[in-house]
Amino acid sequence: MKTKHFMIGAGLVVALAQPLSAHHSFAAEFDASKTVTLTGTVTKLEWANPHIWVYLDVKDAQGSLQHWQCEGGPPNTLTRNGWSSNSLKPSDQITIDGVLAKDGSKTCNARLVKLPDGRSVFAGSSGGDNPTAPKPPQR
Amino acid sequence: MKQRDRFSAGFAGSRFNAVVAATLLALLAMAGAAPILAAQQQFQPPAGPTPRTSSGKVDFSGVWQKPYVPDLTKDGRDHKGLAELPFTPWGEAAWKKYDAAEGDYTGACLPFGMSRSVNTPEPMQIMQSDTYFAFLFEQNSWFTVAPIDGREHRKGIPTWFGDSVGHWEGDTLVIDTVNFNGRTRLDTIGHPHSDQLHLIQRFSRPDLGHISHEMIIDDPKTFTRQWKSTRTFTLRPDWEMMEYSCEENNKSLWEGRIKVPK
Repeated sequence: MKTKHFMIGAGLVVALAQPLSAHHSFAAEFDASKTVTLTGTVTKLEWANPHIWVYLDVKDAQGSLQHWQCEGGPPNTLTRNGWSSNSLKPSDQITIDGVLAKDGSKTCNARLVKLPDGRSVFAGSSGGDNPTAPKPPQR
Repeated sequence: MKQRDRFSAGFAGSRFNAVVAATLLALLAMAGAAPILAAQQQFQPPAGPTPRTSSGKVDFSGVWQKPYVPDLTKDGRDHKGLAELPFTPWGEAAWKKYDAAEGDYTGACLPFGMSRSVNTPEPMQIMQSDTYFAFLFEQNSWFTVAPIDGREHRKGIPTWFGDSVGHWEGDTLVIDTVNFNGRTRLDTIGHPHSDQLHLIQRFSRPDLGHISHEMIIDDPKTFTRQWKSTRTFTLRPDWEMMEYSCEENNKSLWEGRIKVPK
C-alpha cells in the first residue's frame, strides 16, 4: 500500500507540473524536469490573460540581484480560487516553486507561491477542476 | 443521482480522491510548506428535477463547470476518454508528426475549435431558446451558436468552430457539427483531426445540477471508426462568466518561447 501511495504521490507531482491551463501546450515552453525554487522580492504583478506574470528580484549566490519572471494561471481561474490583483504587491517577500523555461531565460512557471504570511498557494490553474486550491489573503 | 455515484465510472470515486488528498497533504507537509492545501469539500450544485422551457424542452441554460480534458485518451474526474485511438495511417502519421514545440495555433490565440473549447477548464454558459443553442465559452471569450429548429447545415466556408445544427432525440439534444477548416486539434496534447471531422455532441440533463455530455468523433480520414468521450458538467450558479482576452499579455509568444505554427 505504501508503494501505491508513493506512486500516486509521484503522479501528483508530475500532474502539478503538467499543463496549467488550456491556453497552449505547457511542454512546448517549460521543462517539467527542471524545478526551481526562487525566493525574492516582488517588483510587479501583471494581472492579465492569458496568464498572470509575477516579476521578482532574487539574490544569487554572489549577492547580486537577478530579475526573474514567473507565469501563473489565468486571472479568471485564479479569481475563482480566491486570488485578486492585490494578492501580490511590490516589495512582498515570496518564494516560488516552479519549473524553468526551456530557452534558458530567467523565466519560470509557478506552481506554488509562498506568501508573506507563510502560506503557500497554488498559482497555476486546472480551472474549476482543482479541488484543493487554497485561498490567498484578502486585501 | 448523487454526484459521488456519477464519478464512480471514471476514477475510483471518493476513495481515490481521499487517497490523493491525503497523499498531497503528506507530500507538501514533507516539503515544509504545511499548511498548504486544505482540501475543500467538492462543490455541490443545487438539487432538483430537470428544468424545462415553456415549450416543454429540456433547458440546458446555465453557467457550467466542465472538466479540463487536455488529453482525450486519459480518464479524469468527470471525464472518460478512449485509451487507444483507432487511427488510420493518415491519422497516425499526423499524430506522430505533431510537435507543440514547433508551434501550436492556440499559443497564438487562434480559435481553439469546438472540441478543444469544450475541453477547456474555464466554464461555459449555455443560452437556449426554441430556435438556438448558444455555446458561450469563457476561454478567449469565444462563442458558437447552433440553430435547433430543424434546419440543415449551411454550405459555407469551412471555419475553426465548424457549422453546428441541433435536433432533439427525446430529451437529448444532439448538436451536429461539420464544415471544419481542419486547422485545429482535438485536445491540448495535440491529437489530430482532418477537415472531414464530423463532431456529434449529445446533451442530456438528468437533474438540475448536471449535464451528461457525450462527444462523438467521426472523422474517416483520421480514424477507422467513430469513438467518444463522455463527461459530466456541473451547474455553477455561484459563477458568472468573465472576459478572457487571450492576446492581452501573450508574453510567451512575444518573447519567443512558443512559436506561431507554420
